[in-house]
Amino acid sequence: MSLFYFELRKLLFHKKTSLLLLCLFALYSVIGFTSTIFLIGSNDSYRAYEKMAAVYEGSFDSEKAAEAERIYNEVSARYGTDSRMIARSVKDQPEIILAVNYYAYAQRVEEYWNGTPPESAEEPYGIALLKSKLTELESQGKQDTFAYGELSDALQCLTELGEPAFANILLWENLFNNWGEHMMQFLLFVPLAFIIAPVFAVERSSGMDNLILSSRHGRKKIVTTKLLSVLVASTVVVTLYLAATFLFGFLPHKSLHGWNAAIQSIPTYARSMFPFKAWQLALVGAAWLLFTGAVYSLIVSFISSRMKSQMGTAGISLVLLFVNVGLAAMGDTVLQKIQPLVDFGLANVTLIKEVFGAHKLFDVFGVSISYPVMAVFVLTSVAGLAVFGIYRGQRSRTAA
Amino acid sequence: MELQFEQVSKNYKDKKVLKGISLTMGTGVYGLLGPNGAGKTTMIRILADVLRPGQGRVLYDGRDIHAMGDEYRAKIGYLPQDVSFYGDFTGKDYLEYAAALKGMDKSMARKRIEELAYVVGLQKDLGRKCAAYSGGMQRRLGIAQALLDSPEILILDEPTSGLDPYERIKFRNIISAYAKDRLVLLSTHIVSDVEHIAAQIMMMEYGVIPYTLTSAEYIKKMDGCVWLVKMPAQQLVEYQNQAVISNVIAKGDHMEVRVIDESKPAREAVQAVPTLEDAYLYIFNYLPGKKRR
Repeated sequence: MSLFYFELRKLLFHKKTSLLLLCLFALYSVIGFTSTIFLIGSNDSYRAYEKMAAVYEGSFDSEKAAEAERIYNEVSARYGTDSRMIARSVKDQPEIILAVNYYAYAQRVEEYWNGTPPESAEEPYGIALLKSKLTELESQGKQDTFAYGELSDALQCLTELGEPAFANILLWENLFNNWGEHMMQFLLFVPLAFIIAPVFAVERSSGMDNLILSSRHGRKKIVTTKLLSVLVASTVVVTLYLAATFLFGFLPHKSLHGWNAAIQSIPTYARSMFPFKAWQLALVGAAWLLFTGAVYSLIVSFISSRMKSQMGTAGISLVLLFVNVGLAAMGDTVLQKIQPLVDFGLANVTLIKEVFGAHKLFDVFGVSISYPVMAVFVLTSVAGLAVFGIYRGQRSRTAA
Repeated sequence: MELQFEQVSKNYKDKKVLKGISLTMGTGVYGLLGPNGAGKTTMIRILADVLRPGQGRVLYDGRDIHAMGDEYRAKIGYLPQDVSFYGDFTGKDYLEYAAALKGMDKSMARKRIEELAYVVGLQKDLGRKCAAYSGGMQRRLGIAQALLDSPEILILDEPTSGLDPYERIKFRNIISAYAKDRLVLLSTHIVSDVEHIAAQIMMMEYGVIPYTLTSAEYIKKMDGCVWLVKMPAQQLVEYQNQAVISNVIAKGDHMEVRVIDESKPAREAVQAVPTLEDAYLYIFNYLPGKKRR
């Protein structure tokens, strides 16, 4: 048998991990299933929603918007203004859910044209606001600045995308919530930390270091095979999550409706400047989670290569994750000071809604680079450093 | 083939474990004898390239083994003092994993594993989990692992601990047959392990190797230093605190005590034929100007 087979077996294919993977798949399936059921209730309700929404789909209709607003005002008086809370409270009443969604859509259309209020702390958005900001900068002679370029790029993207259309994207929205919320980080990255933690640390705790370090392939090839097995293990865990949440998110309602809708139809991605359809974002999102999962696994591997204890490795890896989540949750004044740490910290960079859900450019030596490209660069660099550190460490490693 | 230690030293924090060891080894069996804590395992680990010397270097045919890297490690087989296993590995898994680490061809590895399982008497147990093996079986599995790719240099740290007398003799025979054209370094504190098979025996204590001689040379060194003294049992209790005693046999109403001493320890003492064990005791306990253990 090859070294890779044994390393993969040690990491993934033994009784304990197999059992853990089985439990994880069950958990992910339950999450996929319950989240889709909580969206609207029974399958009949969804069918009714699908029929009603078909009439509303397409470009903006002010009459329908007015009717939706009337219903929304009645409902919000009773259940509050949070659309998700309303949706959960009015289960099995598709007409109300549709009205709430259409009302939210109408607001997005308004924002598309008129933008966020000038006093808002959010990134400038909306055709009118962007134009006025650009005129302001032009009057100050700042056409050559990064800010001008960024706003002008945003205006161009927004114009090309056009006014958002209404679509029934209920199930896709649910999928992207499952793939892009902080809960995913706990469901996915916590188990990953525990599964990857033994990769190097186990050799010290088991005393196998003596055999490995004295053997021909114990310094270089073993690192390559271990890292490959880490990537396979990370891919397996992430794929389990993606597959279970996808299958059990769509299966209960037996529908993929909205697969070809623009992602701007999804509230979370309304301000995205990427011209993706829902299915394209699903592919990009899956690839992104596989990529970020792999990077996190390599970081855990690096920690494992410096530790004697598997639990210690898992502990430090989790602290790293939680510190990142904590940083991202800091108040605005703190966030401004540590913005790069937050932008490229695990908490934000692993969320597809953060990376693909808005328009963010970085000024790198005068060149405008988009958030996903920068994130790929930063994460690849971090992963590269981790791999380099592991190889270097194994070369000089001695048996305790 | 020649292995050379060149002024090799190693410290653990403030403790000097190896103190400037210099020696040269060619083919044949080398025994490394010494009490616990003498530095044998540290020296063995440096030779196995799992530990780096603090100062000095180890040369293989004039080349630094650290610089040789994979090329050097491909030449060695190493049995550590404590053989460790992964909990869910069977004996066969363990040997196949070791073969993969050594870069052996799969079909060749399978054939060799079968051969060695027979040699070490584990042919019926290879399918069992290593964790369920007895201490002796684990040791034998470790020996098979070290011999897998017929290494040019075989490094064995306490190879016979946990083996019964029959297994010990069998092991010695395996090593004797194996050592032709190869270098075997066998570290132990059990004198009989190396007495009959080692061409050269290194006595090590406090991180230095004061003697590297053949078994016969050690025994010759002991001429006139081994005595048999008869005494009552009550006297023995007090006497053993003053003398180096290698053996005591109860004979009727008195004890026959084997004493290591450069001068006649008692008026009625008679000289005995020395053994390597006597030499071991003599060197580590009775050198002139040296404190007794």
